[in-house]
Amino acid sequence: MEEIKLQNLSKQFDGFTAVDDVSLNIKSGELFSFLGPSGCGKTTLLRMIAGFEIPNNGRILIGNTDITDIPPYKRQVNTIFQNYSLFPHMTLFENVAFGLKIRKTPKPEMNDRVKDMLKLVKMDDQANKYPDQISGGQKQRIAIARALINNPKVLLLDEPLAALDLKLRQHMLIELMNIHDAVGITFIYVTHDQSEAMSISDRVAVMNHGRIIQAGPPDDIYERPNSIFSAYFIGETNLITGEVCDIESEYVQLRCPDGQGSSFEIDSTFHFNPTLGKEITVSLRPEKIAISRSKPRYQDDINMLRGVIEDILYLGSHTQYIVRVGALKFRVFSQHKRVYFDDKALDWEEPVWLFWHDTDTWLIDQIPEEVLSAKEISEGGVNHLSRSAKRQSIT
Amino acid sequence: MNQGVRFTRDQNRKNLASWLLTTPALLWLLIFFLIPYLIVIIYSFLTPDIYDVNFEFSLDAYRQALGADYLKTFFLSFRLAVLTTLLCVLLGFPVAYYIARAKDKLKNTLLVFIIIPFWTNLIIRIFSWRIFLAYNGVLNDILIKAGVIGAPLEIMRTDLAVILVMVYVYLPYMILPLYSVLEKLDFTLLQAAMDLGANELKAFFRITLPLAAEGIFAGSLLVFIPALGAYLIPQLVGNQKSLYLGQVITYKIKNIPRNWPMASALSLILLFGVAVLLLLLFALYKRSKARRRV
Repeated sequence: MEEIKLQNLSKQFDGFTAVDDVSLNIKSGELFSFLGPSGCGKTTLLRMIAGFEIPNNGRILIGNTDITDIPPYKRQVNTIFQNYSLFPHMTLFENVAFGLKIRKTPKPEMNDRVKDMLKLVKMDDQANKYPDQISGGQKQRIAIARALINNPKVLLLDEPLAALDLKLRQHMLIELMNIHDAVGITFIYVTHDQSEAMSISDRVAVMNHGRIIQAGPPDDIYERPNSIFSAYFIGETNLITGEVCDIESEYVQLRCPDGQGSSFEIDSTFHFNPTLGKEITVSLRPEKIAISRSKPRYQDDINMLRGVIEDILYLGSHTQYIVRVGALKFRVFSQHKRVYFDDKALDWEEPVWLFWHDTDTWLIDQIPEEVLSAKEISEGGVNHLSRSAKRQSIT
Repeated sequence: MNQGVRFTRDQNRKNLASWLLTTPALLWLLIFFLIPYLIVIIYSFLTPDIYDVNFEFSLDAYRQALGADYLKTFFLSFRLAVLTTLLCVLLGFPVAYYIARAKDKLKNTLLVFIIIPFWTNLIIRIFSWRIFLAYNGVLNDILIKAGVIGAPLEIMRTDLAVILVMVYVYLPYMILPLYSVLEKLDFTLLQAAMDLGANELKAFFRITLPLAAEGIFAGSLLVFIPALGAYLIPQLVGNQKSLYLGQVITYKIKNIPRNWPMASALSLILLFGVAVLLLLLFALYKRSKARRRV
């Protein structure tokens, strides 16, 4: 089993640090994603693994072989480029055969392998076409075939679905997963699209400013973000910073900075050492919060807040409510299930109850401040509603 | 039905407009291109006189022109054109490639440098080469002072001088079309090729070169055709022992006794040769394109 080891990788461009001391092991056969906003260093990292950039510092190993200084054409690594980079003057067959031809593979063997590969990506009936005669999704498949035919140890995918429309993207995502299962080699996937990364990956590394903020399985990152950045970059969330005002064995009480003295609980099964009066930040996913116009029955592990609906965004599968709780604003997702509480649709300016289970109040560990710039803290901090609302309107 | 009527009326109006707009150009071509050519064609079938022609039909001019007397001339001109084109490709490609990959600001500066020579009269530029290459010229001076050679080299008035100046004059005509294809070339294709196992050399021959073929083709036409009929440069820096086609044609008209039919026949053979070559090349090009469009 050949693990890919990134050891203390750093890369600077003209004084700008693109990748900053990244260390990571990627397991053999894993589908691993680097996820982050543009400029976070994920593509540079990929290009270093491919051999197009030489790191200023650190080593890259495949198994026990150090490939840091090996030129790209000698690495057993292949890349799917963002715009596919198919050779326009070659047929699809010639495109796929390129790697084998360069290695002077005997013709009969080459023909068989190209045909098999084209079959794998379901393009065997179009082998004689040219790249400008096929659609984006088909180009994507040819790019995959062209890379995989070289039996790489690692396949690198640089935002491979960015150029496709939404439906096709979802379709190709499933196909990529199927191909990954079929060939069983390591895939390293770079994307800024969190839903792509979440759905396809075995593990995800969230990156920002050239660093890995958090790495782990998608559900782990979503449910248990280790930082403000992780919490707000992956999915939607409410981030609340408040003061610890009570410590019990079962829970910790957090004073809600809503200006009206509300408080709520964090389940204390999370191991952290609370100190009275200390400011902490919690993440509360919008879909974890229930919304109701009637007061829910009291349970001791349920947090409850009273608020007023400020805005309603109908999003098809669910509705996003923006609920004002004193000086705070909460985003709440509610699916349209009539079997549950409110039959009658909620209305603007209507007083409502928000309630959620205290285990869903997720405490974010104090992370090193320098990872987030001041701007991001202000945006991603206590109430980063404007940003999220903007993102909502795009999706 | 109604629509159809309106369509044809619009169509007629458009046709009328396009005729009106193209008429001046067509007239110009008729008067200054087609009619002179007709005169040349007619003259090539007449018999020469000391100053003018006799209006007697004859094929002598063609018989002679295609005979052994002019074989050397045709060969020299053809060799010059081929050598100039080859050297322009070899020298122009790296330059065009470098400019195409340069950053925008540098790119524009470099392009201006390529174009600047066009702002100076060709004859002046050729004369400066004469000064540069002359027996007591700048080049010999430098080489002697640098101790590279003991005695001055005889470069002026040789075929080497002709080639040097030809390449100098025609290089921009090669660089510019090459640049325009290389500028559009997606350089990530080269990375893709390297990613698939091709080293720099293989990537160049399998990706860059085929994709630049159109530019090489266009540039070669721009260089080869005028080089085939070159007159000025061989006349100003060449010698009288190896006369090129352009010079021979001029002499037939300039020197007494004149031979208009001969000059005309030689010109037409040159034209015909170029036309055949062009048609062949275009057919080849079209076939390679058609293969792609099936």
